[in-house]
Amino acid sequence: MSALGGGSSGGEGINPTASLIALVIVLVAVAVVFLVYPAATVPLIGVIIGGVLISFGVHFVPVGGAPAAMGQAPGIATGVAMLAAGGGLAGLFGGAWAAEFGIAISLAAGAIGGGLLMAITCLMVNVVYVYAMGIPAASGKVDKDPITGDTFPAYKSQGTEGHGLPFISYVGGVLGGLFGGMGGTLIYYELLQVYEEALPSVIGASTEGLTTLAVSLAGIFAVGMFLVAAVLTAYNITGTIEGPHDPKFKRWPRAVIGSSAASAVCGLFAILLVVI
Amino acid sequence: MEEILFGIGISALAGALATVAGAAEDTESDIGSQGDPNSQVQLAPQMGYVHRIYNKAVSGEPPAYGLWVALAAGVAWALMAIQFNAILALVIGSAVAVFVQGVYATTAYLGRTASLAKFEQPVYIDILKSVTSVTMAHAFVAIFATVTMCFLMIEALGHPFPLPLMGIVWGIALGAAGSATGNPFYGKERQYQKYPFGAGLPISASGDIVRYAEAGQRSSIDNGWFTSKGAGPASGICFGLIVFFELWRTILFEPFAAGWGAVIAGVVLIIVFMVIDRYVETWARKTYGPYTEEAAPEEEAAA
Repeated sequence: MSALGGGSSGGEGINPTASLIALVIVLVAVAVVFLVYPAATVPLIGVIIGGVLISFGVHFVPVGGAPAAMGQAPGIATGVAMLAAGGGLAGLFGGAWAAEFGIAISLAAGAIGGGLLMAITCLMVNVVYVYAMGIPAASGKVDKDPITGDTFPAYKSQGTEGHGLPFISYVGGVLGGLFGGMGGTLIYYELLQVYEEALPSVIGASTEGLTTLAVSLAGIFAVGMFLVAAVLTAYNITGTIEGPHDPKFKRWPRAVIGSSAASAVCGLFAILLVVI
Repeated sequence: MEEILFGIGISALAGALATVAGAAEDTESDIGSQGDPNSQVQLAPQMGYVHRIYNKAVSGEPPAYGLWVALAAGVAWALMAIQFNAILALVIGSAVAVFVQGVYATTAYLGRTASLAKFEQPVYIDILKSVTSVTMAHAFVAIFATVTMCFLMIEALGHPFPLPLMGIVWGIALGAAGSATGNPFYGKERQYQKYPFGAGLPISASGDIVRYAEAGQRSSIDNGWFTSKGAGPASGICFGLIVFFELWRTILFEPFAAGWGAVIAGVVLIIVFMVIDRYVETWARKTYGPYTEEAAPEEEAAA
């Protein structure tokens, strides 16, 4: 039950029919790209993996929403998709900057960029709770921190579900930033490869202008697909989540399946845009 | 060497701009009740507490700032493409974005407040006139500082993104950092100032926000005055640290180990922040202590 009294809707299980449809959508998207522009097949698979990473990562981010803003529930007081987007896009910034060094460093830079944003944000959340509001961190979902062993029931103030960011939520936030930053960067990197290769033959302009166009297109598609995967996952979470120790975390396979289908379709359009 | 020094100088300048942007962003959102505490401002009349607090929350802070900063960046970018002076272009771009913010704030306040008509919450035209311009002024500072920071990242540090895309990325990050850090302070400490310090708000008290000031009714501008002493600077430090360390680790350490240097520096920074967080958490537990007696003797589990 959430702090505002609404039940947590949605079951934990996976719907086999829906999963099968998602799988078919993914396969059809890959097949279409393979037939139209075979060189983009591997990048499309990369885009799908990127969407999956984002979707999985969003589940780690401790988000308390409106109740957290009154110290009524633990987590960060903002929306799931928005916080993940902040972290993931900061990662995309770092990853795009390091793209010239190749895929490994670019992905690592993207992951660290997202993780660093979350590490600093989560720290400042706890600083505000502790030093400006005088409230210690306490989880509402577990009695004991799985990492540090801190107990929580006595540290919850009366009439609340907990507050602040316990260490497990902090670690979850950083992990979410890492996955989100890496996923966003992977999408950007793969699309950039496709655009840099396909654009000169499609448009036939000078390479200088085309590089800017390729970077812009890949960047805006990466931002858009990031939001698609993050918002889809937010629907799966339904409201708030405390991090990897929250029972809602177990729902991640559903979001991953959904995001893979959504990323496949978005990636298909992003690639068809330049090859048709 | 000179290039690295220049890069670090730009990182520091960008970090300073980000600090100003973060502080202004959070104060703007608190004056306009755009963050998560807006739920209480919206709820209060439904519980019978009619108030004079501004409420423009029809969008979260990250997408709203993503829009405004990208808009400012887009206009500035277009003006620079026709050979406008860069600073003039940035100012004009930010001014255009602030007018959009003003239209957004006006329609959002009217819409949200009018929807509470059946709970006898009036729409105050004097609030619209006095508070909207204050949020616009704060928004201008936040947008201009962020767009200038984006401009520096591209022109001085050579990031490949074009200015409008950079505006979306850092606008969303600005809103995420500002809302995450600033919301609890505004929500708990200001809206529920009459409830005891050092505890979360009981869920049963939701909606009972503070509506009166020292003299007369509380205005949203007073909320900006209050949060600019705590949540604003904290959000500024948060966003400033993010931007500074993101640039600093890349500028200084990317040349090492074929690019891996910046990644290793980032990992070290994350671990340092994690240790500081753990210190803050344990400090709070030791200093403030539990609210109730612990049920059983605390078992010391391995950390």
